[in-house]
Amino acid sequence: MQHEITTNSMISVRGMSKLFGKFVALDRVDFDISRGEKIVVLGPSGSGKSTLIRTLNQIEPHDSGTLIIDGKLINAKTDPIQLRCMVGMVFQNYNLFPHLSVLENCILAPMRVRRMTRMEATALARRYLEQVGIPDQADKYPIQLSGGQQQRVAIARALCMQPEVMLFDEPTAALDPEAIVGVVGIMDELAEQGITTVCVTHEMAFSRRIADRIVFMDQGKIVEITPPETFFTAPQSERAQNFLNQMLRY
Amino acid sequence: MTSFFSHLRLPRRLRPVAALAVAFTAAVLPASARAEQIPSFVQDGTLTICTNPTLPPMTFVKGQDVTHPEGFDIDVAQALATRWHARLSVITMDFTGLFPSLSAQRCGLVMSGIIRTPAREKSFDAVSYQDTALVVVGRKATPTLSSMDELSGKDVAVESGTSYVTRLGVVNDALIAAGKPPMIIQQYPTEEQVVQQVLIGRVFAFVSQDVELFYRMRQLRDKLHVLITPDIPDYRHFAIYIRQNPEDRTLLQNAISALDGDGTLQTFRTKWSVTDQSTKGGAAEAGTGGMFDWGAFFSALTSMAFLHGAFITLSAALISHGIAIIISVPIAIVLNSPQKSLLKVTLEGYVSLFRAAPTLLQLLFIWNAVPQFFPIFREQWFTPFLATILALSINESAYQVEINRAALSAVDLGQELGASALGLSRRDIYWRVIFPQAFRIALPPTINEFINLLKITSLASVISLQELLAVTQIQVARTFAFTEYYAAALIYYLVMVFFFLFLQKRVERRFSWSDRKKVVSNAA
Ligand SMILES: Nc1ncnc2c1ncn2[C@@H]1O[C@H](COP(=O)(O)OP(=O)(O)O)[C@@H](O)[C@H]1O
Ligand SMILES: [Mg+2]
Repeated sequence: MQHEITTNSMISVRGMSKLFGKFVALDRVDFDISRGEKIVVLGPSGSGKSTLIRTLNQIEPHDSGTLIIDGKLINAKTDPIQLRCMVGMVFQNYNLFPHLSVLENCILAPMRVRRMTRMEATALARRYLEQVGIPDQADKYPIQLSGGQQQRVAIARALCMQPEVMLFDEPTAALDPEAIVGVVGIMDELAEQGITTVCVTHEMAFSRRIADRIVFMDQGKIVEITPPETFFTAPQSERAQNFLNQMLRY
Repeated sequence: MTSFFSHLRLPRRLRPVAALAVAFTAAVLPASARAEQIPSFVQDGTLTICTNPTLPPMTFVKGQDVTHPEGFDIDVAQALATRWHARLSVITMDFTGLFPSLSAQRCGLVMSGIIRTPAREKSFDAVSYQDTALVVVGRKATPTLSSMDELSGKDVAVESGTSYVTRLGVVNDALIAAGKPPMIIQQYPTEEQVVQQVLIGRVFAFVSQDVELFYRMRQLRDKLHVLITPDIPDYRHFAIYIRQNPEDRTLLQNAISALDGDGTLQTFRTKWSVTDQSTKGGAAEAGTGGMFDWGAFFSALTSMAFLHGAFITLSAALISHGIAIIISVPIAIVLNSPQKSLLKVTLEGYVSLFRAAPTLLQLLFIWNAVPQFFPIFREQWFTPFLATILALSINESAYQVEINRAALSAVDLGQELGASALGLSRRDIYWRVIFPQAFRIALPPTINEFINLLKITSLASVISLQELLAVTQIQVARTFAFTEYYAAALIYYLVMVFFFLFLQKRVERRFSWSDRKKVVSNAA
């Protein structure tokens, strides 16, 4: 049976919870994300932002509630590998494979998971390395690159799987201001290409510019989901107000 | 030289009783029944003996082939085998391994120039085949002694595991009772080391048997002489030991008496210079000069015996470590997992047990104790080499688990996250992402551990593995060229170790991705 109600949503979440032992990291969250929509997740540290987006590609499986992605119900029985082919992820610490060159980082999953030939995978990787602006670094090892360059590789590596959804978990948090400009520029470009995006970030200007909606979290709960103009000028909840005041102070 | 021989007692003939027994048997039994009965320790037409071939002229390796000992004992054993229409099989091992091997039924009898003592007869049956006497030997310049009491307070060397140790203990008790300081007894695992302690002046004297001394004197007659030959009734016979069985004992006794009666034993005595008379004609062999004998060194270095020993050492270490690595990786993965399980507790116990137990003890346990419970382990296929591999791979896997655990935990957790977010299977996550990184971290300590293992294989000489150090010791017992043979063995070990260190460097160069400086210079 198809879940007809969700056909226009890319991601549909109902009453989803995640526990670490007794600790409730995600507390019955509900939201829908349409195809091509750009969502920015905001919230204080420890509020469950990372946990939320990790459940979306099931590297943290949820404990209860329903998760439907691209019309398919996701639970403990679904093959996570198919899901992860469709949902790419970029981490704060890049998590590049240090023993592989930039190119090898990019072609590993296409070859092993998508069963591409080395030639196909290499051609694809060079295209995305070009897109993120580092075509000439393909044969270097991650340790030889700057932080900004490494994060670009991580983005290219995720794109090589040609996902329909991209998840970003504070991709610029470990970068210096100059590198942030570059990486944010690439994310702007991606946004224009219409890929569904869920991004955890503290880059307020970026959020304002590209977000269709802001998801604000606190203590494992989604406190509000609002368009950025409303969120940054007239947040509905007191907690969001406090959060914004804190952010502006620094 | 005369002073040396004048202090030796002439060997007496074997007990008259034995000779009588032969005569009696021959007279009473009808000719048809005289066809000899075969003792139960001769199995499948094979007489297997255990011997420690470092006691010339009784049992020793004369040539280069360490698996082929010769001597008076071996000839007697051969004569017994022939009598019983059996094939002779000789297992060589460390002295301390002889009696445990007899108990474990690895051999039918022990023949290794061993003194007959009441203590040993409590556990085994003994049949005497050669008279002997205990002698105290010192350097040429040392004056002779008139009583054992004069050894009070002196350093005395003796082979460990032999009955001389107990005997010297009795002398010491008497000394202490008389208010005198006891002898200081130093024990060494091989007879030639015992002799060497006197030669280099570390001890005042050593204790041994006259027959061995007759032989040694060919090499060392201008350096040593007998200080005293105490008359100790319990120490007058060499004996063959068997597992306790009255029938077997009688059969063996009859066979020995027959060999004595027909002059066979006397022929062997002459052949092997077991009496002092016969040594007089023996030409002095290469003595131990003060200088390093380059000829002996190079001939040892290029000998098949050393090459074979080194090959055994190397293959035992390589195979054991290979198996250890294969076992240790899954164990390390289970132990590193966060959840508790019965399997995990069991594996933790395995690792602690084998890290704690001394390797030597594990070898002895597997070789000597296990066959008592599982007879299959005393069969022919379970060779010392297999036993060594078994003991060392279990032992080594426990250490390797710790190396692997440390290496696996040193790989950043983000690596697994990043890899699974890309949709890689668990298999690929391990083989393509985690193992290559853990391998680099584990490599230096693993090579270190391997080099250690290469050297630890020398312990397996106690279970008769003919590895490099066992070969060296057997060759030293023959030639007394300590320095030259030790140096040759050292060269072999060094070459092997340096080869693996070189290999480590080569492999590490392939891991340049972990070192920014090197990567940059490689790229340039
Ligand atoms: N693997 C884990 N085990 C236990 N607690 C965790 C784990 N991951 C996250 N948490 C806890 O869940 C809460 C939310 O974490 P996280 O989603 O990382 O927050 P955020 O990304 O918003 O800073 C935190 O209190 C954190 O300590
Ligand atoms: Mg986070």
